Parts: sequence; structure tokens; C-alpha cells
Amino acid sequence: MNAILEVNGLCKSFNHFSLKDIGFSLPEGCITGFIGINGSGKTTTIKSILGLVLKEAGEVKLFGQEFDKNERELKNRIGIVMDEGYLYEDLTIKEMTKVFAPAYSTWDEYVFSSYIKRFKLDPNQKIAALSKGMRMKYAIALALSHHADLLIMDEPTSGLDPLVRSELMDILLDFMKEEGKSVFFSTHITSDLDKVADLLIMIDDGKIVFIEEKDTLLDTHGLVKGDKRLLNEHNRNLFLKLRETEYGFEGVTNQKAAIRQEMNGVLIERPSIETIMLGYVGGNKNAY
Amino acid sequence: MKIIIANVSDLPIYQQIKDQIKDAILQGELTEGQRLPSLRELANDLHVSVLTTRRVYDELETEGFVVSKPGKGSFVATANLELLRESKRHMVEVKLMEAWETARSLGIPKSELYAMMNLIFAEEDKD
Amino acid sequence: MLINLVKKDLLLAKKYLIIMFIFAIAAPIYVQLNSGGGLASFFVTVIMVQYMLVNTVSFAEDKSKGSVLLCTTPYTRDYLVKARYLFILLVFACCYIIYTLTAFISPIHLEMLGIHALGISFLATAICFGLMLPFQYRFGYKTTRYIFFFIIFISLFTFPALAKSVHINTIFQITVPFSQGIQDILPWIIALVIGYISMLVSLHIYSHKDF
Repeated sequence: MNAILEVNGLCKSFNHFSLKDIGFSLPEGCITGFIGINGSGKTTTIKSILGLVLKEAGEVKLFGQEFDKNERELKNRIGIVMDEGYLYEDLTIKEMTKVFAPAYSTWDEYVFSSYIKRFKLDPNQKIAALSKGMRMKYAIALALSHHADLLIMDEPTSGLDPLVRSELMDILLDFMKEEGKSVFFSTHITSDLDKVADLLIMIDDGKIVFIEEKDTLLDTHGLVKGDKRLLNEHNRNLFLKLRETEYGFEGVTNQKAAIRQEMNGVLIERPSIETIMLGYVGGNKNAY
Repeated sequence: MKIIIANVSDLPIYQQIKDQIKDAILQGELTEGQRLPSLRELANDLHVSVLTTRRVYDELETEGFVVSKPGKGSFVATANLELLRESKRHMVEVKLMEAWETARSLGIPKSELYAMMNLIFAEEDKD
Repeated sequence: MLINLVKKDLLLAKKYLIIMFIFAIAAPIYVQLNSGGGLASFFVTVIMVQYMLVNTVSFAEDKSKGSVLLCTTPYTRDYLVKARYLFILLVFACCYIIYTLTAFISPIHLEMLGIHALGISFLATAICFGLMLPFQYRFGYKTTRYIFFFIIFISLFTFPALAKSVHINTIFQITVPFSQGIQDILPWIIALVIGYISMLVSLHIYSHKDF
């Protein structure tokens, strides 16, 4: 599979936070979820890739070409939705579109109108009057109306109700039906990813923690529940995170086979992405 | 075609999907030459990764169950009796393994499993 | 592409366009009646109109940060800066046209502006916004708005008085020993140079900004 986005050695430091040597490669035709808790570096990474934040080191390649050298051409092929929206509040949808559309040589007014109709948006309405959900839908309409091959989104679902989030996931799945499309989006609401993600990349404290196929992740990790008395010095180390209560223990492990061998009578379930993510977030082993 | 992914099974997701598609083919639910859902369609419907469905189709093709034509999709391969026979045996083996894995993860020992099986056979023989 | 970004600035200033249009007609007449001097009335008007509109646009940009999204598009950062400068030029040109038309129609006598007088106004525009824009790009709208508000209003009130007491035109004629033709063009050339340098500085600042 071709790599649609390649990031290598990306570094950027601020006063209280830095990105350390971020690198990953996104295969074509996949939806990649970029997960991490708030403050882990998701937005900074995406902004660095897009050139909104100037990176101190590293290279970014899109569709095999260096981003810095072919900026205008490559930007034509990506659709972008940012958490903050960055839309002009005082303009109407129609006016904002009139400003935005001419930037793209591949702008398709027909596709755009279809999205607007589908989302039931009123072109004459001021952007300031739109709800968060409608704003996001408008931003998606803008991003998907110039035949982009890669959709990059930063926390597109934060602050949205489950129904809208589900609608958005359906829009993404629709988008992917066409050949050669890819999606990369960051979120800390991992339940959305349970439904649509193909690949997962986790970031924590500015460093990449893992890059894994979603199903492989779910296969190799386990949510283990059992009697507290079964825990000992040795098998505690098999857990990424462990929580003990009055009634027993619950832990996340990436060594299912070992657990099964050494601990009898425990229940091993397939974990959710959220459980796995919390298993890797740095710090207190017992607090999850 | 029925594909249901179990949450407590130890079998990897792709294995479960592969087995169930194979079942469907061997039991004639999917006929020769029938078009299988596209990678993306299958992935979307089962809520699994498209990389998983790709692996499933790739392995099914290697094992001779599926044929893919670039640009057209994936199709059920024409039947091969030898293959069928061997596969049927293999299918039962897989099911037995599954039963054993499940029993083990739930803490049911071998002896009890034997007892359970004998009970089932006894019931069957009665009919 | 550039035109669309200038259109963007116009859309952002939409609320005040009509008011400024009326102001551009009325203000020169008012200043003429009170302080006299074609140059003074145009000068005050054009600086005010430009300032009000640029301020409105900058405020809107600062509020919604819409330019960030535009930076992710093929427009790229450079065009956003260039369009702003072009916008100011456009406003200047419009003010001149309005002034000239008003002078034709108005019953109250308004001096028509010669190249030299217009050049002085243009130079003032260049100095004023040539300083303001890079500062705004560097330090942000919120920090700089009060400073420039102050500067502009002080200069606007002192200029007409200054112009009356010290005939600006004659100063230029005395101190510079060039031919009349060159003296006419001189303010334009200086203005263009200042404007160009300012734009280069702004481009540099903006291209190194983290959003």
C-alpha cells in the first residue's frame, strides 16, 4: 500500500510542552485515528503537519512529495477540519464559501450544494448563528467539496452530541467508499473510533506510544477481571494498568497468553479502545 | 451470510471472520462465482478495520476459497472436492479448538469438558 | 486569487462600507468649511476611512481567526498579507474617486487634487499603514490597536492646523531642488518604497508565525 502521509522526526517545543521526534506513515485507503488525552500533542502535531505551526525539525511528505516544496499543489488535495473552526463569524455561509472556494482549482459547486442540502444548512445564515454541530457540518462540506484525497481533522467531534457524532462517522464511511481516499483524525472520544478506525496511532506527552491496526490492538490486549487474591508480585507486572477494589481487580494487559497461563479463573474480555488508551497513558499504574 | 464476532473469544478477529466466511462457502450458502462484499463494505458493516478484511480475503485467496479480480472485486472460487473434504475436517478441528479455548479461559478443566461432550453425545444418541 | 482575498476584506468590513462611503463624501466638505485646503480635507478623510475599515477587518480577523483556515488552503500565507495591502490601496483609490466626483457636483467649492497633493496623501497612507501593519502582524491586533488609534487621531487633528500654518506644499518646493515634475512624483516614489518594504517585513513576520 502506498503511504499517503509520511511524517519523520517532527520536533517542536514550546514553553511547557514539546513534540519529540514524531514519526508515522499512513497507508492509503484507511481511516487512521490519532488518539491521546487532552494536552498530549495531537493538535500540535496536526498543526505542524499543515504548516500552521512551524516545526523545528523533521519532514512531512504527502502523496510522496515533500510538503514544504509543493505546498500549493498538495494543499489542493487535502480537506481540513479544525476543532476551532476558524470560520469568519460575521459572514454568512454563502459569503464564507465565496471566500474559501476560489482557493481550490478542483472546487465542485455541485458537490458542495449537495452537502449543504443534505445537512439542511441555510446559505444565508450567519456563521455566528450556527450551532457547533452545524458549524462542523459546514466545515466538512467545505473540506469535501474539492475532491480531496486526504481528509485531516482535529477533534471534529468534541462538543457534539452522540447523534451528530454518529452522523459524522457515517459521512466518513461514505467518503471512504471511493477508491484512493484516506482520513486522518485526532480525537479523545475513542468510542467513535470503535466504529470506523482502521489504524490507530496514540500519542502521549509529545511522543508516539503505538501505531497499530485497530483489530490487532483489540486482539492482543485484554481486559482482565478476577479475584484479588490471584494477584502476586510476579503477575502484577503483566498488566499495563491495574485497579483493585473491594470486589476484585480489573486490569489491562498486552500479554494475554501469559495471563492465561499464570492466572487461573480470570475473565479475559476484549477491551475497548478507550481502555487500551488509558492503559498507556503515563503515570500512576493503579489509576484508570 | 452470517458473521458474528465474539467478544470473549480468543480467536483473532480476522480469524473469526475468515472461518465464518469459509463456513458459508463450504455449506453452500455462498455459491461458486458469487461476488463477495467489497473490502470497505464488509469492514463498514462489521465495524472492523479494512486492513483486517483485506487480510481475510488475502488468506482465503491463498487457501483457494476466493478469487479476486482487480477492479471487479472478490468472488467465491469454483469448488474443489478434495479441498472441500480437507477443509471440512479442518473446520471441525477449528471448532473443537475454539471450544477448548473458551473452556480454558472460563476455567473449565479438560475432564469437565469431556464430561460435557459425553453428555451431548448421549443426548444425540437418544434421538 | 488575490482578488478573492481582497473581496474577503471587503466582506469583513461590510457593516461600515456604507457609513464610510457617506463619510467620504461629507467629511471633505466639513473640513473645507472649517479649516480649508483641498489637501487637508482629503488627507483627513482618506486616513480616517482607511483606518476605520482596516480596523474593522483586523478586529473581525482577530475575533474569529478565519485567516488560520485560509492559511491551510492553497492561498498560502503570502497572499493573505498581500491582499491586505492591496485592500488599503483600493480604499485609497475609492476615496479619491469619491472626492473628485463630490468636487464636481458639490455646490461648496472643493479643490481638485493635483498629483503632488495626492502624492502627499499617498505618502501619509504609506507611512501610517506601513508602520501599523507589520506591528499588528508581529504583536497582534489587541496589543496595538490603542496605540495606533491614539497616533492616528492625534495626527488627524493636528494635520489640518499644521497644513494651514505651514503651507506643506511650499516646504516641499523650497527644500528640494528638483524640477517640478520630479517633485510631483517624489512623494509617490517614496510612498511606494516605504509600502514595499513594509510589505516585505509583514510577509516575513507572518510566515514565521505559529498559530
